[in-house]
Formats: sequence, structure tokens, C-alpha cells
Amino acid sequence: MSKKQWFFAIFVVLAGMVIVFAPLPVHATAPTQRTFRVEASQYTYSPAILKVNPGDIISIELISTDVVHGLYVDEYGISVTADPGQTARLTFTADKPGSFRFRCNVTCGALHPFMIGKLQVGPNTWLWRASGLTVLAALAILILRPSPPKAQVT
Amino acid sequence: MRSDLTRFPFVKSLLKNRWPQFLVWFVMLAGFLFAILSGFFGTPVGNRNFGIVFVWIAWWAVLILVAVPFFGRGWCSVCPIPLPGEWLQRGAIMNPPGKKPRWFNLRWPNKLRNIWLQNLTFTLVALFSSVILTTPKVTSIVLAAMLFLAIGMSIVFERRTFCRYLCPVGGFIGLYAQAAPMELRVKNKQVCLACKDKPCYNGSEAGYGCPWDVFPGGLTKNTYCGLCMECLRTCPYDNISVNTRPFSADLSKPSGRMDEAFKAFIMLGAAMIYAGVLLGPWGKIKLAAYSVGSLSWFGYTAVFLAFIFGLLPALFLGAVGIGKVLTKSTLALKQSFTAFATAIVPLGLMFWVAFSLSFVLTNAAYIFSSLSDPFGWGWDLFGTAAISWQPYLTSLLLPLQTGVLVGGLLWTARTTQKVGSKVNISPIPVIIFSTVVTLTMLGLLL
Amino acid sequence: MKNSEQLSRLLITVGLLIVIALPFVARSVDTQDIVEVHARMAESGGWMPGTIQAQTGIPLYLRLTSDDVMHGFAIGQSDNPAVDVLPGKITEVTVAFDKPGTYTYYCTRWCGPNHWRMRGTIEVTGNEMPSSQAINPPLYIKLNLDIDTPHLASATPAVIPDAQRGAIFSALLPDSYLLPDYYLSHSPAQVYLDVQVDPALATLSNSDLWGLVAYIWQSNTTPEGLTEGQRLFAQNCAACHGETGNGDGVFSADINALAGKYPANFSDPASLLGAGPALLQGKILRGGMGTGMPSWGPIFTNQQTWDLVSYLYTFQFK
Repeated sequence: MSKKQWFFAIFVVLAGMVIVFAPLPVHATAPTQRTFRVEASQYTYSPAILKVNPGDIISIELISTDVVHGLYVDEYGISVTADPGQTARLTFTADKPGSFRFRCNVTCGALHPFMIGKLQVGPNTWLWRASGLTVLAALAILILRPSPPKAQVT
Repeated sequence: MRSDLTRFPFVKSLLKNRWPQFLVWFVMLAGFLFAILSGFFGTPVGNRNFGIVFVWIAWWAVLILVAVPFFGRGWCSVCPIPLPGEWLQRGAIMNPPGKKPRWFNLRWPNKLRNIWLQNLTFTLVALFSSVILTTPKVTSIVLAAMLFLAIGMSIVFERRTFCRYLCPVGGFIGLYAQAAPMELRVKNKQVCLACKDKPCYNGSEAGYGCPWDVFPGGLTKNTYCGLCMECLRTCPYDNISVNTRPFSADLSKPSGRMDEAFKAFIMLGAAMIYAGVLLGPWGKIKLAAYSVGSLSWFGYTAVFLAFIFGLLPALFLGAVGIGKVLTKSTLALKQSFTAFATAIVPLGLMFWVAFSLSFVLTNAAYIFSSLSDPFGWGWDLFGTAAISWQPYLTSLLLPLQTGVLVGGLLWTARTTQKVGSKVNISPIPVIIFSTVVTLTMLGLLL
Repeated sequence: MKNSEQLSRLLITVGLLIVIALPFVARSVDTQDIVEVHARMAESGGWMPGTIQAQTGIPLYLRLTSDDVMHGFAIGQSDNPAVDVLPGKITEVTVAFDKPGTYTYYCTRWCGPNHWRMRGTIEVTGNEMPSSQAINPPLYIKLNLDIDTPHLASATPAVIPDAQRGAIFSALLPDSYLLPDYYLSHSPAQVYLDVQVDPALATLSNSDLWGLVAYIWQSNTTPEGLTEGQRLFAQNCAACHGETGNGDGVFSADINALAGKYPANFSDPASLLGAGPALLQGKILRGGMGTGMPSWGPIFTNQQTWDLVSYLYTFQFK
């Protein structure tokens, strides 16, 4: 690689670090109390995507409409189980920002491992950072074309 | 860049001697039969059944996260499926083959000497995967069918026709083996040209002719070499080497085959559909994929097939076409298409790694319970039966998946450029295509 | 070469035979004297086996497992606590019976609209006198009540009757109203009509009179009984009748599709206040009525049914 290409490569790496680690402006929203009524049935949550702001106090009312289901939130490590006819409540503070899957943690039939919902606390920062990184990678490759192949020595 | 592992005497004898491989085979076959049994006689609850957990979580994790990316067809060299059939076919497990074939020993029809059948079998498994993946009995039926099909084909045809032309797994392992940093090649082609009997292909006192119907002297890519090590045993000139090499070494030689090109799209598309259907929050689609035979399942099937065989290749073809226009290339569209399709092999592999990371880490806990209680009969063989479900390392998941996907895109973009310079077509539209599908995959996974 | 061929053949045949045979041998040793019971949703066959034989005085070892979703196991009219039956896991229970008879075991965790159909029987033989509870005819039969016809209250209160308000005037209330037999056999509306024309209570307003009715109901129950009733209701009734008794439980639509009728709405005063305790107990015990209501007779103890009945009236009384 030429000196120019080396500089460019270093620039790309630095830009990548910025995309991944740069602190984003925090939209400070006053924490509110939010209640979601989530119906669980084989093999879905309705609604399956919950969007909240960081710091909000979340109360999920889990209502099972066929068999016993649970709701386990990745990373938060908290869960609740609901029998049909007995609304269960899970209350917690959304103190970790990001996008998390929540999953059924009571075996509820064949597709149980795929009974999944999404909790999005604040903007989905990782998706934006990852997308930025993807575009950067593509641009870098396009600009940093390979040098013409050297004669193969065998 | 390449380093021959067989120059170490220990490695060489390990690979050349039949016993190490046989013992691994034995363990694998025992595990395979055990998995089939547990599916038929154990609990019908998937996540507590050895067959489901060990095939679709443990084995799959090892295969897609380790074996394929680092060892290519490494799995094929210890896969137990051909063993019983081959015993019948050869009349022996270790002894050299007899002079006369014991059975029909037919040649595989020329028309089918491609991987279209494997594309078909993989697509079929993929279409029914929500059921196969979760229902122990169905998994057992599929595993048993593969075993019996392999036995039957060993009797009718010569060599390993099941592995080479039918196995739904073997097809994509071969595709991705091109990217692996491991290969079996001859040391010196001149030796092979001078060799009269070609025992590596025809067999000899020392071992069997290539079960994969490959002449090692002509090997230029990993796709169809099963790493069974027979040629290492039969070559009278010690001309076979097992090399480590840079990743993606075979991909600099663009493929000219449509079946291989479509394999790449099937895999890329299936990984995206799985990420959306299995890991996404859309319950209706999950139910549609699971309710085989229902109207919604036919809808799902139509979308699945249209995406994999229609939309994805069509967009890709468009990208290739634009590239051709940009560079005023006169190469036939078909050749350009298959050549560039080689370049999306790394992307597809990384899509599968990213999807599987999530699937495996969140379900790995089931391995402990079903190891101790494989049938769901209340056993506790290793004291781990009571370990309850919990997703592992989910905090690492998003950075890992991002790294894998971005890495895959870099890899594929670089390969695209190499293909582009080889066929004199602008790679930019294909790189943009790859970027768009990567962004889509990110959106589905994150 | 010859030796290794034979050794490998031996290993692969004998070794694999052992792999195949071992689990089954181990299992047959493991499951002696044990009844293995598989739980499945009623649509897929319910309990397997559906009938279990036992003898008095000899403990019955049960190994329970579920083949699909979470279920529970309990034996009707017994004090044994319910246990969860988890998919692919084993729950072991030992039960013993003092008296011969036919016992019902049932699922205790809701597993769909047909959950309550998940029942099996344990036939217990022995020389002891059979259990007496089954012989007693329930009160609704002794009173000759028709539990299948509608029972609209002929009078309903303007506001929710308040037992505390009734308690203020309880000194005026003749003792006969507080007799258990009277309470059990009369609906709140009938009692209201009785107290309305009672000369001893002539000075009271309508809401005071309804307060007295609520007071009568309150004095026939205990806080513990109500708590137990509430628990039983949440566990067994709320899935259809709704957590607030509105008849809008998660399965109400399924019930309507099945039986052409929604589950009873306990927040409707005209319906609930027209039913006396014996009538409600009858409905609980026998079920049916063309509404998809299960029969709880073999499940609940006598006390449990009365606790449940008392709790039902809290949907109308303060």
C-alpha cells in the first residue's frame, strides 16, 4: 500500500471508532410512568414492540390468552409469568438504554424459543452505529481499491 | 502463505491412520443414533429433547461458528452418515476394497452432476424448518431419512453420491469451504500427471478411490473435496498435503456455475428470512411458517421462494448489469452473474454466523439440561438437569453481530473487487447491493 | 489389517447396540412400581392414562410430565397441594388414599379454553367404608332448585349495597334472617323483598334495606373464606368470567363460539342478585346449563364451594 493509502486506512479506522464510541446527545426526557398491556399467546406478544424512554418506570401487564406464558427481558434479567385469567405485572425502571429482546420463559409449545418481542429504550443507537459502520466500510473499500495484483511467485 | 500440516509426522499419522477417524466416527454415529432415538422415544418437548438440542443447538453452533469458517468441510470428514452405507458398499470398514464391486456401483447420471439437487433439498428443509427445528419426531425422521438414503444410494451408486449430490448440509458446507483457511491439495501437479494408476481416484491396496469422485491432482477449490483423507492414504508418492492458507483463498477464482451461484443466494436469503421470522417480533409470520399445509404457510412459502429465487438474484442481476453498462463489458450476463455470485459467499457465511450467534447464545442453556436428561425421563446423569433456561452473553450479542456483519461486508466487497478486476466489470453496483442487504440484516437482527 | 477390520466391526456393532439398548434397560429398571402420567392439552388427548388404579393404604407413585405446555396436577377434594407439571420435566408425587372410591385428578394451570376438560380418574379399591361426601346430595337438590332456568332478580338496588351501612341497623334485624338455612336458600332479591315488608324494618330506606341484605351475606362468611374464594376464583374462574367478574375473560370469546353464550357476568345485578347461595353452589357443582360451564363437584371441597359462592357476591356487595 502507498503512503496515501495508509493514511486513508488510518482515517477509516478512526472514523469507525468515532461511529462506534462517540457519545450521542442525550435527549433528557422527564421519566414517566408507562403501563403496557401486553397480550401473550402462542407464539407472540401483542404489542410485540415496546418503545420507552430511558429512566421511565415501566409496568407491563402480561395477559395470557391461551396457555401459561412468561416474559423475560434480556440484559435486565427480570421476568414474570402469567396464567390465563390472572394478569401478571412486571414493574421496573428502564435504566439501560438500547434495544432488547424479551422472550417467553415458560415452555409454551413448539415455537416457544422463538416467542420474542422487542423493548426499545430510547433510540436504537446500536442499529444506527452499526449502519454507519456498514456504510463506512463499503465506502472505504470503494475508495481504497486494491493495488494491481503483483506477479504471483510460486 | 500456505503451510503443509502433513510435514509434522504426528499430524500426518493422525490423518493417515484409519483409527483416529474411525473412533471419531464411532462417537458421532453413536450420538447420531442416540439423537434419532431420543426424538422417537423421548419427550416431544423440543427444548428438553436431546435430539433437538444437540442437533440444532450444539451441533449447529459448532458447525457454523467453528467447523465451516475455520475447517471448511472438516465436518464432512467425521460425519457419520456415510459410514453404514460405505461399509455395505465396500464390504469392509478398514480393509482395502475387493477387486469387484459388491453392488450395482452405477455412475451418477451426468445430468445430475451438479448441486441443484442439494439446492432443492436445502430449500425443502428450510421451508419446513420451523417444524423440523422444534419437533423431536420430525427431526428424527429427517435424520433417519438421511441415514437410510445414504445407505440406499451407496448400494445403487458408486462412491458417496448422497454426500456429493443430495445432502442438504453438504451443499452449503462446500460453498463456504471455499472461504476456509484449510485445504487439501497435491504438492506437485507434475507428479500426478506422471502417475499412471491414479490410486487416489481408483483406489488401491492402501485405501479407497476418492469417495467424493474427485481427482485430487485437479483440485483448485475446496467445494467438492470432503477431506476424507483417503488420497493421503493411497497416494504412493506422498504427494498430498493438508494446508493452512489465507481465508477466502478459493474465492479469487470466480465460479462459472449457476448451481453454485444459486446456492449462494439460497443461503444468503435463508439467513435473512430466518433472522426475520425466527428472531423477529412478528408472531403471525412465525405461525404461518409453522402451520405447514395451511393457507398462510403457502403464503409464507411463496414469499420465501420469491425472495430467495426471485427478488434477491434479480436485484443482484440488476447490479451486475449496471456494472456491465458502466464498464461497457461484453462478457455474457450469465458469466458475469455467476462470477460475482462467488463474491457474496463470505457475506452469506457471516449472515449465518450472525444469525446463529443470537440463536445459539439464547438457547445454549438447554444443552445442560438435555445432556443430563436426554429423553426427558427425569434422569440427572451429570447433575446438570436442573439448570434452568437463561440467555447467555446477550450484552455481547449486538457488538458481535455488528462486527461479524461489517466484517462480512468488507470481505465480500474486497472479493467483489477482485472478481471485478478479473472480469473487467465495475464492482461498485454489486458492493452497493451487498451494503443494502447487510443493512437489512442489521435491521432484522438489532 | 484383518484384525483391525474385525475390531472395528465389533466395536461398531456391539458398541452401537449398547448405545441403543442402554437407555431402555435403564428406564425399565427405573420405572418399576411407578405410574408415568403424561399431560397434554385436552385437544391433544388430555391425561395419559386417563384412569389410574390404586389401593387404599398403598402409596401411589406418580411420575408426571407434560408433552406440550405447562400443566398442573391435583386430586379433587383433597388437601394435597397442586404441583406444576412442566414440559419435558418430571415431577414426582406420592399420594395415598384412606378410603376407596373414584377420585378425580385434574389440571391446575390453564392450558386453553378446554383446560377444564383435562381430567382423569383414580379408582381406589379397598375394604374401608367409602367416603361419605359423595353420598350427601347437594343442597340445591334437597331444595329442589332448578339451576337451568334464568333467575332474574325481581328487585335490584340503585347503588351498590353496603354491608357497613346495614350493620348500623343490624340490631333491628330479626334473628331469623341470620339463620344459615335462610341465607343459603334465598337470593338477595328475595331477602330484600322479605325485609321490605317486615314491620320491624318499616322505617328503613331502600338503600338501608339493601345494606341489611349485604350485612346478612357478610355475616355468613369470614375474611379467610373470602380470601380463599378470591384465590379459587382467580385460579379457576377468571379465565372465562373475567378477573373483575364481567364475563369477559380471555376465553369468553371461545366459550361463546363453542356454546353460543358468553360466560355469566357477575357484575350484572339482575342476574347475580336473583341467585341464592344454594343455586350458585349447584351451578358450580354440576356445571352444564348449556353454557360450557365445567362441573366442579369432583374438584372442590364443600367448604371451597361455599367460599367461592361468598366471594361471587362481593361483585355486588360492598
